Amino acid sequence: MVQIATIVPIMLTVGSNRIVPGVAIPHPVGDPAKGPEADKKARRELLLKALKAMTTPISEQTIF
Amino acid sequence: MRLELHEVHVSDIQWGQRTEVLDHVLRVNREEALASVSGDDRFASVQLDLARPGESVRIIPVKDVVEPRVKLKGGRGYFPGFFAPPETAGEGVTLILKGAAVVTCGPIVAFQEGFIDMSGTGADYTPFSKTQNLVLTVEPAEGLGKHAYEEALRLAGLKLALYLAEACREAAVDEVRVFDKGSINEENDKYPDLPRILYVCMAITQGLLHDTFLYSADMKTVLPTLLHPNEVLDGALVSGNCVSACDKNTTFHHVNNPVVEALYRRHGKDLNFLGVVPTVEDVRLAGKERASSMNSALARNLGAHGVIVTEEGYGNPDTDLCLNAKKCEVLGIRTVVISDEAAGTDGASQGLADATPEMSAFVSSGNVNEMIEVPPMKTVLGHPEAIENLSGGAAESLRPDGSMFVELQAVIGSTCELGFSRIGCEWI
Repeated sequence: MVQIATIVPIMLTVGSNRIVPGVAIPHPVGDPAKGPEADKKARRELLLKALKAMTTPISEQTIF
Repeated sequence: MRLELHEVHVSDIQWGQRTEVLDHVLRVNREEALASVSGDDRFASVQLDLARPGESVRIIPVKDVVEPRVKLKGGRGYFPGFFAPPETAGEGVTLILKGAAVVTCGPIVAFQEGFIDMSGTGADYTPFSKTQNLVLTVEPAEGLGKHAYEEALRLAGLKLALYLAEACREAAVDEVRVFDKGSINEENDKYPDLPRILYVCMAITQGLLHDTFLYSADMKTVLPTLLHPNEVLDGALVSGNCVSACDKNTTFHHVNNPVVEALYRRHGKDLNFLGVVPTVEDVRLAGKERASSMNSALARNLGAHGVIVTEEGYGNPDTDLCLNAKKCEVLGIRTVVISDEAAGTDGASQGLADATPEMSAFVSSGNVNEMIEVPPMKTVLGHPEAIENLSGGAAESLRPDGSMFVELQAVIGSTCELGFSRIGCEWI
């Protein structure tokens, strides 16, 4: 499992294993202030990063 | 910097021919008070009501509570940047109608608010069941955006509180409290052997109607800065928060901050109170790292031996709390935090969303998830159905008979992280 969220210390505290840092609390998986195109790009990059994290073997909590 | 707080004690509130305090009764000319906040085309209607301690009255959803104050000397108006020039607060003379409060109410909800019961179980948990309240309920004009509504209601509350105090500026003063402290250099020279203590006051600054204002500046764009304690006690901080009710600092809380007052009382006795750093709770991790680094750097550069940190809100701000404690402790500065806990309805869960071993001294102001049952009230000011949108409430919270079964967090100020509360292991 991969978790995308903004506040990495909380993910570490609660024991997430595959951690992908998100953008901001109101919009963890995008960046709407940058406009629709850049927002979509940010979303896509985060999703691809998460998929890569999911298929990467790990032995301890890992931040991608 | 010398501030005199001239307190007029208010033990009752009534409608009257003119707005004045007579024999500790605050009489309010309803039409004049209404006129002070009318004329804003963002409002569809404006209503004023009285709510006194012990009455069977529920106020819901409450946005802010404001203490009536006005500058008598050393300035004019109140709340610099809002209804006073944006100049340094904290000097001269301020008149306060002590025991009175303006409570603002209106259906912003969905962005969370809270309630105040003037009697019954709920009243025990909020300080504003003990104040003589002038309740301002405002309905928004059709199509008004929530941000515009929040701003309009925030300003109307400040304005109404100022109107009350301004009208009573000739009232007989019952008590004068003096807050007098020199510059950091002067105080260090006076008390070279006392431990130097800095107070870091975290404020919710997250946008989406979760905002705090410093000299009217939206704090989410402000870096941590140093204030003289008098500035805090004299209106520099204003709440714009529509957030979980139990632990938001209303504007009333800010000007009566008990941590500031307690440190002041001990200043020159067993500690040297350096000042107050209002700081942000950013929505990005980098912002949390930046603010906590600046707070600890300020503490170090001021030569602080100890830091007290208070949180506002819970959840992601728990990380700010941890970072503030951690970065100060790493520099060798002893740190104590004051926070509430979201420990589940049985109190058995971890209290904070985050944790760090450096945060080793923790004062808890209560469990926001504690369930309480509050009886029906004869009069409900505002919108009783709003409970389903409040944090700590749900659609089924409001029963047909008007009683409610809710989490403590729906009650305004019930777990205030400044310690402005009577809740403890024992009632105090």
